[in-house]
Amino acid sequence: MPYEALLVAVLALPFAGSFLAALFRANARNAESWLAGGVALASLALAGAAYPLMAEGGIARYSAAWVPGLGLEFVIRMDGLAWAMTMLIAGIGFLVVLYARYYMSPADPVPRFFSFLLAFMGSMFGIVLSGNLIQLVFFWELTSLFSFLLIGYWHQTAQAREGARMALIVTSAGGLCLFAGVLLLGHMAGSYDLDHVLAAGDAIRSHRLYVPALILVLLGALTKSAQFPFHFWLPHAMAAPTPVSAYLHSATMVKAGVFLLVRLWPAMGGTHEWLWLVGSAGLVTFILGAFLAVFQQDLKGLLAHSTISHLGLITLLIGLDSPLGQVAAIFHIMNHATFKASLFMAAGIIDHETGTRDIRRLSGLWRFMPITGTLAMVAAAAMAGVPLLNGFLSKEMFFAETIEIHDGSPVDRALPYVVTAASMFTVAYSLRFIRDVFFGPPPTGLPRTPHEPPTLMRLPAEVLVLACLVVGIVPGYTVGPILETAVRSVLGAAVPEYSLAVWHGFTPELLMSAFAMAGGIAVYFLLRSWLLVCEGPPLFRHINGRRIFDRVLVTLSWRLARRLEEIFGSRRLQPQLRLLAAVALLAALAPFYMQDLVPRSMARPELDAAFALVWAVGIACALGAAWQAKFHRLAALILLGGAGLATCITFVWLSAPDLALTQLVVETVTTVLLLLGLRWLPKRLEEISPPARIRWYRGSDFAFALASGAGLAALAYAAMTRPSPDSIADFFVENAYTKGGGTNVVNVILVDFRGFDTFGEITVLGAVALTVYALLRRFRPAPESVPVPEQQRVQDIDDDAHPDRKKGDTVRSAMAVPGLIMRLLFPVIAVVAVYLLLRGHDLPGGGFVAGVTMAVAFILQYMARGTTWVEDRLRILPVRWMATGLLLAGGTGLGAWLFAKPFLTSSFSYLEIPLIGEIPMASALLFDLGVFALVVGATVLILIALAHQSVRSRRAPRSREAEATTLAPMAELR
Amino acid sequence: MDGLHNWTLAAPEIFLAAAAMILLMIGVYRGERGADLVSSLCVASLGIAIFLVLRLEHGTAYHELFLVDAFTKMMKVLSLLAAGIAIVMSRSYFVLVGVWRFEFPVLVLLATLGMLVMISANDLMTLYLGLEMQSLALYVTAAFQRDSERSTEAGLKYFVLSSVASGMLLYGASLVYGFAGTTSFPGLARGFLAGDVATGAIIGLVFVLAGLVFKISAVPFHMWTPDVYEGAPTPVTALFSVAPKIAAMSLIVSVVMGPFRPLLAQWQQILVAVAVLSTIWGAIAALRQENIKRLMAYSSIANMGYVVLGLAAGTEEGVRSVVIYMIIYLAMNVGTFAVILSMRRKGVMVERISDLSGLAQRQPMMALALLLFMFSMAGIPPLAGFFAKLNVFLAAINAGLYVAATIAVLASVVGAYYYVRIVKVMYFDDPAEAFDRPVERDMAVVMLATALFVFPVFPVFQAPFMNGAQAAAKTFFSGR
Repeated sequence: MPYEALLVAVLALPFAGSFLAALFRANARNAESWLAGGVALASLALAGAAYPLMAEGGIARYSAAWVPGLGLEFVIRMDGLAWAMTMLIAGIGFLVVLYARYYMSPADPVPRFFSFLLAFMGSMFGIVLSGNLIQLVFFWELTSLFSFLLIGYWHQTAQAREGARMALIVTSAGGLCLFAGVLLLGHMAGSYDLDHVLAAGDAIRSHRLYVPALILVLLGALTKSAQFPFHFWLPHAMAAPTPVSAYLHSATMVKAGVFLLVRLWPAMGGTHEWLWLVGSAGLVTFILGAFLAVFQQDLKGLLAHSTISHLGLITLLIGLDSPLGQVAAIFHIMNHATFKASLFMAAGIIDHETGTRDIRRLSGLWRFMPITGTLAMVAAAAMAGVPLLNGFLSKEMFFAETIEIHDGSPVDRALPYVVTAASMFTVAYSLRFIRDVFFGPPPTGLPRTPHEPPTLMRLPAEVLVLACLVVGIVPGYTVGPILETAVRSVLGAAVPEYSLAVWHGFTPELLMSAFAMAGGIAVYFLLRSWLLVCEGPPLFRHINGRRIFDRVLVTLSWRLARRLEEIFGSRRLQPQLRLLAAVALLAALAPFYMQDLVPRSMARPELDAAFALVWAVGIACALGAAWQAKFHRLAALILLGGAGLATCITFVWLSAPDLALTQLVVETVTTVLLLLGLRWLPKRLEEISPPARIRWYRGSDFAFALASGAGLAALAYAAMTRPSPDSIADFFVENAYTKGGGTNVVNVILVDFRGFDTFGEITVLGAVALTVYALLRRFRPAPESVPVPEQQRVQDIDDDAHPDRKKGDTVRSAMAVPGLIMRLLFPVIAVVAVYLLLRGHDLPGGGFVAGVTMAVAFILQYMARGTTWVEDRLRILPVRWMATGLLLAGGTGLGAWLFAKPFLTSSFSYLEIPLIGEIPMASALLFDLGVFALVVGATVLILIALAHQSVRSRRAPRSREAEATTLAPMAELR
Repeated sequence: MDGLHNWTLAAPEIFLAAAAMILLMIGVYRGERGADLVSSLCVASLGIAIFLVLRLEHGTAYHELFLVDAFTKMMKVLSLLAAGIAIVMSRSYFVLVGVWRFEFPVLVLLATLGMLVMISANDLMTLYLGLEMQSLALYVTAAFQRDSERSTEAGLKYFVLSSVASGMLLYGASLVYGFAGTTSFPGLARGFLAGDVATGAIIGLVFVLAGLVFKISAVPFHMWTPDVYEGAPTPVTALFSVAPKIAAMSLIVSVVMGPFRPLLAQWQQILVAVAVLSTIWGAIAALRQENIKRLMAYSSIANMGYVVLGLAAGTEEGVRSVVIYMIIYLAMNVGTFAVILSMRRKGVMVERISDLSGLAQRQPMMALALLLFMFSMAGIPPLAGFFAKLNVFLAAINAGLYVAATIAVLASVVGAYYYVRIVKVMYFDDPAEAFDRPVERDMAVVMLATALFVFPVFPVFQAPFMNGAQAAAKTFFSGR
């Protein structure tokens, strides 16, 4: 199929050209123009070659795999409408390139310009030729991007930057809305393929997502076509080089929006929502644009507002929701493109040759540039809708369409009068464009002496004006077949009767035209003297679209964001934690709320008074600890110990002596170690902020904690009252003796069944102890905690007061008796530890408990006699304890290999010892011994690390660095 | 069945664990001078691990605790890739601030090991094991710049909050176990399919999801992200923003699409809420950020929102969109951080957005690369980011999540604004002082590669990626 190649070529050529154009030298104006012009002409020729097929009403398609799996194909689809648009884009594109060749000055870096222009042209082709909605959005955003780059071409000027940024934000945001709309649309139609979508109009209109989809699509189309209330970006885009304006704002960019509306009309139009949303946007834009255009002082500003107005007219036609309306809309898209492009070119020529675009400074240019003047006059007349020009024809159709009754509402009835009135302004600004610029006294004080431009620069405008004339005089022979082709592709079989004749007899619309003409002339002459001095349109002068846009942008993107961040964001840890917990709590409550969570069996547990009392004490301790945590750490810590003890008693109560024992010793040791660490934290905080606020914070935290705790308790209760899943607990209970040789199941699990885990755990414990030691070695206490602590100072007051006492005497005497007891306790505790170790396999006890107990003995010695005394007498250093422990445990495990058993297999027998009798002798005991040694070593090592802080820091103020090295504790350990 | 007979399935993990220990030893004995050597060996190890992953067969090991299939393999490769790039990008920064130590790459290696375990988790136990292994290593890296107050604070904050989240996850896991009687993913799935769904298990699921959502920093568990991103050393931020996200995301996918798939109705609501909130908050809060690392934090919150939206669809298409998104996210993010890491003026790192002023005039190639990344993140065609979002939105809409999808698209409009703002600053603002030149070779390579991926490689050659993602997504639907 040759058409396929043709379609690919049309789309690929501009992009290839764009790439090539970027490679040229910065001043290669001629080469660039040849390239760009060639590309545009080639596209035009290629598209023209497709005419035979289009004339038959055929559709050319090319499809290739694009996003496999998503069911998306890259489809280039050309039907009549797409063809007409392609011709328009390529044709005017060629003329604009030619024009730009003379417009751009040699100083401008042209490769960038032509590269962007060609890429933009390609993107426009992409929009009109897309056979797939996603692909359409894709190219849609590309046009936003390239128009941004084109408008911002002269990025040295702030105006260009602002204009470009505004255009990009408005149109690409609209494009993303369109994206959402298209996604919904495709979902409703069941496919993103344009043919499917167009055929699925009924399904779409009756779908419940129709309105959201319509609104989203309209947001895309209306922003692109600069329709109210998004019209404000277009005038600011006039900072672009004039060829860009001539191209973007006549035939391409802004036409994409109305093109899309026409394209989707068969699928989405024909509803009340369409009529009102599209129609009213169009009507308001039409009136507003025309009104504002009259009061512009900048030539391009006038044209920009007139573009807005004309696009409003087209949108209104599409919104009127009738087949004839679509015909008129398509016709006006073409007509507007021709006359507006030529007007922009004329404005550019004037700017180029006189150096200004200010209407107030220009006048009487006719003398200097009669040909340009004639061209502008004809084009402006076409814009005003003067008979025998193309604008007249589509305007007549427009008037005729407004007279029709659509839904009978007051607005609908008033429509003909309203549009006639608005058209007066159209006539008025067209007249102003001509009369103020070309007639009147000769201009004074122009930057340059005006003269005719180079012939070739004028040529594009001449061609376009010729088209206006020819179409206006003999429409049936010129534009007729083209329009027919385009219209048929949109309306299909339902093409209404329409006539392109210049003369229809005396009709109401002719009357409207006459009124508009006469009224427009009257308006112009009434306002003329005032227009020359006014600084902007009345009423709207203070409504500066750009300022509002900026302010909205600042408010939304800056103030609002900051406000929200202040409310919802925080850099403080506490609120962050609170949020984390609160959300989890709420999330967990939701299922509770939705499905009642009643525990399967609500057996009331029997409650013993004593047990309840223990728990009451435990809970009170926990609450107290939380209450004091921030203010009195010592109290909090002790209370925490109380809560731990309650847990311990619970274990005893619930017949888990082993756990209780472990809990007890671990609780003791950790509390003591924490107490030792407390010395390095800042002291008790009395007041941190006003009490009322504190109370509020703490109260809310309390409530929150209570809720979380209650929730957890409820969940735990629900989980525990369920029949427990099959667990391996039974296995352990059954096999503890037969396979492990012990009756203390917990211990057997630790040293036998799960010996490997325990081995890992003691290794970790050793690593932790070493890490704590290593970290504390380098510990630098906060300056406020370096001096002698308060307690010690209190103790020393008496000693200092009496010259006969030495420092520390008070402490020594106070500690004399407890110290003695502690010292005496050492061997006792050691024996207890050994006892616990030995009996561990069968009765509560074990290596871990024994190790911690042994560590308690050491801690007592530290407290009784001080660091120096103890360390002088430490024969086996902690690191050796740990190493021995690990080696012993590992060795026991490896020993199993000697008997060809897997690692850590244990064996057991009984050993007859005289006097003591038969004791169980499992190899696990050796392993347990290793655990014991390691636990002792690790605990004592941590103790040493903590204890050394006080030794070091007291001397630290003198020479911290020297101390740190001489007392590097590793030396003492080796 | 002997649990050990399939141990080769864990070959990459075993290799990484061994490599980490050996490298640690090398580092210890080489001392300060060893950092470069260890770092390059770490990257090499990650490379070998990728090779090993690719050679894996599919199956389960260790009594069904550990799973290897197309999805996990894909995610593992991505994580390894991200971690490797993060190490490559970290050198110059740490050298500059004077803490270039061999521990850093080894820590990253260990974190990556945790990620691999997470990805392969087929049991709540394995899940937790991997998660914690990863997190513990990451806490340290966040606080790696010990002398910097911000870095220390970031590490501590991350640690505290993350432990709470881990606690919640663990609590949820225990609830699930308590009510469903098993921790094994296939076992759970069987139980739920049989209709045995206790409310307690749903609450457990909520907690598990809360813990996991924290790890991908989606709203409402996002609070830590901006602070940690800003405070942590930049290479660590670069690491955080990609590799752990990939691992945690794939974990969420395997949890909700695996054992909890029968509870779709329940978790879909949660995920939709998370997705919508994340996209909105990520977009709005990013607007006023001045610090580019903070901005990237919010950007990653928003991005995760989109990924979660894709997953919330609960369909094959949804999972595929997740995979695709993560691939593209990897490229965009890594590239952006390569640029951020090159923002250095007279030997001092700068990280304010205004420092990028007029970059286009000073370093046009770098500006162009960042422009590509920003437009891609904004989801503007034809860059890769557009396709990432497209996949997600299509999946969401086809699953009937119209409102969520529409809100997410609109949030992306807001998001586009702040990405475009960076472009505006680079291209239109008056040039600030130039950054140090030349850009590090490593950074330049990363920038170039990722930029080329974002455009034109991905948009043009989508098929292999789509097919890979498709194959990965299929594993959840065709029986593993």
